[in-house]
Amino acid sequence: MTVSTARPSSAQTSTGAPLPAGAPQRRVRQVGRILTTLLILAVIVAAFLGPYVWMFASGLKTQASIFTDVVPISWRTFIPVHATIDNVTELFADRGIGRALLNSALVAVGQVLGALAVCCPAAYALTRIKFPGRNVIFAFILATFMLPSEALAVPLFQLVGTLGLQDTLVGVGIPWIANAFGLFLLRQAFEGVPHELDEAARLDGAGHLRIFWSVILPNIRADLVTFVLTIFLFSWNGFLWPLIAIQTPEKQLVQVAIAQSVSPGELPNWGLSFAGASIATIPLLVLFVFLQRLLIPGLARSGLK
Amino acid sequence: MSTKAEPVPGRRAKRFAPAGGGRARQDLLAAAAFLGPFIILALIFQYGPLLLMVKDSFYDYTLITPDLKTFVGFDNFVRIFTDQGTVKSLIITLLLSVGVVILTIPLAFLLAMFLNGKLPARGFVRTMVFLPVITSSVVVATLWTFLLNANGLINSALGSVGISQQPFLTSGTQALPAIIVLTVWQQLGMATVLYLGGLQSLPSELMEAATIDGASPRQRFRYITIPLMSRTTVLVVVVITVFALQSFAPAYIMTGGAPNGTTNTLVYLIYQTAFTLQQPGYASAISLLLLVIALAISLVQMRLLRTRWDY
Repeated sequence: MTVSTARPSSAQTSTGAPLPAGAPQRRVRQVGRILTTLLILAVIVAAFLGPYVWMFASGLKTQASIFTDVVPISWRTFIPVHATIDNVTELFADRGIGRALLNSALVAVGQVLGALAVCCPAAYALTRIKFPGRNVIFAFILATFMLPSEALAVPLFQLVGTLGLQDTLVGVGIPWIANAFGLFLLRQAFEGVPHELDEAARLDGAGHLRIFWSVILPNIRADLVTFVLTIFLFSWNGFLWPLIAIQTPEKQLVQVAIAQSVSPGELPNWGLSFAGASIATIPLLVLFVFLQRLLIPGLARSGLK
Repeated sequence: MSTKAEPVPGRRAKRFAPAGGGRARQDLLAAAAFLGPFIILALIFQYGPLLLMVKDSFYDYTLITPDLKTFVGFDNFVRIFTDQGTVKSLIITLLLSVGVVILTIPLAFLLAMFLNGKLPARGFVRTMVFLPVITSSVVVATLWTFLLNANGLINSALGSVGISQQPFLTSGTQALPAIIVLTVWQQLGMATVLYLGGLQSLPSELMEAATIDGASPRQRFRYITIPLMSRTTVLVVVVITVFALQSFAPAYIMTGGAPNGTTNTLVYLIYQTAFTLQQPGYASAISLLLLVIALAISLVQMRLLRTRWDY
């Protein structure tokens, strides 16, 4: 079955077409295939879109109507009939979610700029400058790629404390600026720029800085966007490290703020939690829906650790 | 140096001159300037914590008074394997990873095959399946807390087909499977995209040749698609395993490791040990174990991918 859905059978139709006897049977099979496709689509929509729609809708409902709308499942479950923005207002007015969003944005932007400033030149050196020990240095960076970041959290906490960066937004962002994944992404992009271009520039008397800035960077704009989006996403979505690194409530990042509104054991306010989760997710969803062509390759390669 | 002001032909000549002229030295300086910031930051924030972690794992102390350290030798490592809670957490984390891999691989593969065909809503389906990948673990865990709640959407859906209310997160037998399912939900999009990339790079000549030779769709699938996808499968397995090994948000947000430690993942245990129990030395030892497991998996992957899988 899977094969026939994946490879629409051009071979079958071409061999089957001249035989009239096969036609009804083929139509039955075609109808079956369409039904299977629709069924799979329905399951995917229910499993992947359903929870998001429920989350967004419930963020605009009161606690009471969330519960009355969920059993039995109907269109009311997914559409806020008497929509209220009380949850959103409370999050901004009393729960400091605006501040948390700002903190997250500051850290993410800082991390993106820092990573750009550090990774781009490093990728240039690794692809365009010949020097002894290049492979050793590359291996040295490659190794950090394999360290699971969550495993480093405890010593990093102490280290950041020693550097006097504990409980600061700088301390949240700075450890991830020398990003091995980002370097790999850019290294691949740099390799894609033909060497003839910089040879030509060099003959014209351009130095490394000039070639880097005026020859390579303008040629990898799309990859730079992928890089920026991916780093931004990782920073925005990070949880364990911001949870540990920040103690002052005013400096909290948005993911931590949401997590603490649903801590186990407490009776959460569903509407507030849904609204908070929605607010933290919607910017990324918008970004993703419009720029997925640039974002997916980056994320897919981030898996190549 | 004079080389700097030299005209272009001189520079070219220098490059072909034997052993380290001005050009080589310039290149070295440029390399140092271009790579320096990255290397320094990587040394401080990657290798620094790594060394600190190894050192700390031999000490007993608290984060409040880090200067009062007692050297305890290998005690922390012995404790990992004698402390029932830690052993249980290790087993649970491995079960979680294995469970997620076993469910994700076939689902992602089928989904990629499905998306690789002629499908009207292809882009839409791919976008939907990928949504959880770009959603933070915190939001995913929050959403699933409510989905799995006694009054949540899943129990309501089960109720409408006549299945009685399930306890899910408060049940010792259902909590871990529930977290496995949500992790699969979260990572399926990533695995699917990786498989889709693999499928699209399949040489179409091979398929055509097999078709001409009379291979049935089933045979083409069994003898061409599956073998050629084995490299992608190795990659997907490693990505998913390393992700699942670091599972933290579900335990922190949904269960607190309960019921009875059945969802107490390693990273949550490390967090609790270091920051609640104030035993960063022991937490470092557990972190080191996690790191070794993740490294071992990555090394196995590199080995497997280095061998040529020619067919």
